[in-house]
Amino acid sequence: MLVHLQGAWNPWLGRLTLSQIPYHSPIVLGAFAFALLAAAPIVGLMTYYQKWGYLIREWITTLDHKKIGVMYIIIGLVMLLRGFIDGIMIRTQQLLADGPRSAAHLQAVHGYLPPFHFDQIYSSHGTIMIIFAVTVVLTGFQNIIVPLQIGARDMAFPYLNAVSLWLTAAGAALVMISLFIGDFSHAGWVGIVPLTELPYSPGVGVDYWDWALQLSSLGTTLGALNLITTIIMMRAPGMRWFRMPFFTWATLSTQTIGLTAFPVLGVALALLSCDRYLGTHFYTAGLGGNLMLYTDLFWIWGHPEVYFIILPAWGIMSEVIPTFSEKALFGYTVMVAATLSIAGLSWAVWLHHFFTMGAGPGVNLVFSVSTMLVGIPTGVKVFNWSLTLYRGRLRFETPMLWAIGALFLLLVGGLTGMMLAIPAINYTVHNSVFVVAHFHTMFLVSVFGIFAGLMYWFPKVFGFRLDERSGRRFFTFFSLGTVFVFAAMYTLGLMGMTRRLDYLYNPHWQALLIIQEFGIFLYCVSVFYFCKMIYVSIRDRAKEAHGQDVWRTSRTLEWMTLTPVPFYNFAVIPVVHGRDAWAMRRDSGLTATSPGDYEDINLPNNTIVPAMLGALAFGFGFGMVWRIWWLAGLSLLGIIGLVILRSFADDRGFTLTAATVRRMERNHEDTGIVTDHISPPVAELALFQ
Amino acid sequence: MSLHRADPLDHPDVRNASGIAFVAGYAASVGLMAIALMVTLRHEMSYVRFVIAVAILGGLALLAQAVLMFRLDLSGGQRWKTISLLLVVPLFVLSIGLTGWMFHTLYPRTMLDFMQVQGSGM
Ligand code: HEM
Ligand SMILES: [Cu+2]
Repeated sequence: MLVHLQGAWNPWLGRLTLSQIPYHSPIVLGAFAFALLAAAPIVGLMTYYQKWGYLIREWITTLDHKKIGVMYIIIGLVMLLRGFIDGIMIRTQQLLADGPRSAAHLQAVHGYLPPFHFDQIYSSHGTIMIIFAVTVVLTGFQNIIVPLQIGARDMAFPYLNAVSLWLTAAGAALVMISLFIGDFSHAGWVGIVPLTELPYSPGVGVDYWDWALQLSSLGTTLGALNLITTIIMMRAPGMRWFRMPFFTWATLSTQTIGLTAFPVLGVALALLSCDRYLGTHFYTAGLGGNLMLYTDLFWIWGHPEVYFIILPAWGIMSEVIPTFSEKALFGYTVMVAATLSIAGLSWAVWLHHFFTMGAGPGVNLVFSVSTMLVGIPTGVKVFNWSLTLYRGRLRFETPMLWAIGALFLLLVGGLTGMMLAIPAINYTVHNSVFVVAHFHTMFLVSVFGIFAGLMYWFPKVFGFRLDERSGRRFFTFFSLGTVFVFAAMYTLGLMGMTRRLDYLYNPHWQALLIIQEFGIFLYCVSVFYFCKMIYVSIRDRAKEAHGQDVWRTSRTLEWMTLTPVPFYNFAVIPVVHGRDAWAMRRDSGLTATSPGDYEDINLPNNTIVPAMLGALAFGFGFGMVWRIWWLAGLSLLGIIGLVILRSFADDRGFTLTAATVRRMERNHEDTGIVTDHISPPVAELALFQ
Repeated sequence: MSLHRADPLDHPDVRNASGIAFVAGYAASVGLMAIALMVTLRHEMSYVRFVIAVAILGGLALLAQAVLMFRLDLSGGQRWKTISLLLVVPLFVLSIGLTGWMFHTLYPRTMLDFMQVQGSGM
């Protein structure tokens, strides 16, 4: 039944041989050295200060939505850095390999990367940035903030929440390991068919891409389920639908998209796996296969996915802009309607990604119109943000700078999107770097949103502010880099430069390519200031420490909790009397949060099972990639067995007595999520005692 | 709004569950999908009849899961699940319908033997 593969295979190691480890490639060696250099001090310090136990007890086994969110964000930021390095490599190759006389370095004929290696780099760049960086960081924010905003103690399913995290981590680990063992896909982040089929990609690259996406998409689907249930079921008393903070609304529509769209990706990839492993012909170029079907299925997920990425960023902007304009969000109800209608419309536009495939004019017309319809609610949002700014008492602290930057990018990205939505224009620029510039502008709206959120909520989570000075420099250099790279890229697209080129045949493009490389240099400077910002902030954390409400003008419930947030969030669940609950309390002088009497709080125990499931999922993925059947089979059995075992565990959770809560609240030194000395015990430890 | 119940066994989901129905739902959906696989492997029906047969089998499998495995109905505990399943119906119609229409215009323009592929040529 299994497809017969050419080349070596043995039952123990599958397709894995020593020659699959690219120790002869100087670039991979360099990456390996970099990874070692980055990891060694961390491992060393952890060992020196004997923090491994702490890491496992407090973080790896945690079911606390805030810690899970923080881990999502850390994974996402690490992947963002990896994707950024890929980006530098792509830009540098295109700069060097320009024209027949261009120089050759390393093993390349032009530039320094041979085509096969270059193709892997842009494929991993796209996959990582979209699936493992931006999506993951935004999921982290939703995890941390939504339960706080609706006045809940945790997510609806804390255990499932940890499972989602570790599945995502397993997917990210597969992508990372592909750097050192074997290859990554060379077929683009979209998986171009029939290039992803066995005859054209007989190696393991496509399999890595396939399983990494499959695992993380499972994690995202489960996460969507969890967040939706949380918003529906866990709201504090009085938190009616139209009193919910806007970020929560954005999350609800985002996750509705996630829940409905990600299964389509799962199916599309599963059918591809059938082709590659079982020899079916879903997408093959002959024998009854239909390769257009893959493109269709991919974008049925793909377009909703781009809204999955942008809606939370808009949610963040809708929190940051009112706070720093010192007034309520303009047109809340209209904003909610716009967000929901964007989520709905995002399902009806996918064909604009392949206008040129050859469907009839009626089909292209319908999808062109539906795509442009998205512009209406999007425009409504832009006006509402502008009107929130209008006559506000504006304060340009770093979160606000990022939010306003995002607003400008949204205009550029939205308008170029409208251009692309016109089939006649699309035919001339499809698959040019104009499209690449369009979607980078759009994703950068999300990235700017992410940094706005990071600056805005970091003090809430960790109890100290990020350094303003280096934060501003970070913003300045990042924005300038964006302008140089993408203004030049739009121009190149209109000049006819197609995407994914490992060699540029037209020397006239060189000037613009140099400008892009300069932009990349500015981005590098901004990364330096980012690191400096983190370093300075941690060094001066005592100076920047503050109470509940750092910005003094924030409006939503998360600012009511103690800072840093204790693991039970609210000692007593608040009662909500209106929209912008915190602003209402502040305006009427009701900010004191210590109630007369406390109650017992029951929370789930920590457990190692989710992390083990993640590890087994990684084993399964790795086994499938290399066709090591025993590894894949045992891992799968392990997953099933663990899930069954865990369902028998009679774990009633951990009860914090009212007296302890009172003590912790009064002396709130030991409540913070970074400094907690009390947190739920690890359930499995009881087995050993 | 917030459901705080001490004993997990009192949860409506748990109360609603039934071992027999669960096994029946599982068996029915696996069986129906196995039949669909057989039908596909045998290549005996004409294209249109084949598509209809597989669609009916898929619908039955969905029904078996919704009714037997997940026991969806309009009671307080299950309401949201039923509604979310119903909300997927428009998406189904939208995505499958538009895909069908797209291919219907795409085949004659890009595939020489589309009449054969589509059987009757609809
Ligand atoms: C006003 C809203 C938008 C419109 C009208 C629009 C329109 C389009 C069109 C027509 C294309 C196809 C171009 C081609 O390949 O020829 C496209 C590509 C793309 N857009 Fe947008 N878009 C919009 C918003 C967004 C957003 C919010 C994102 C992401 C955050 C996004 C990400 C992308 C991506 C990733 C691609 C192409 C990916 C690829 O081919 O690799 N777009 N857009
Ligand atoms: Cu799109």
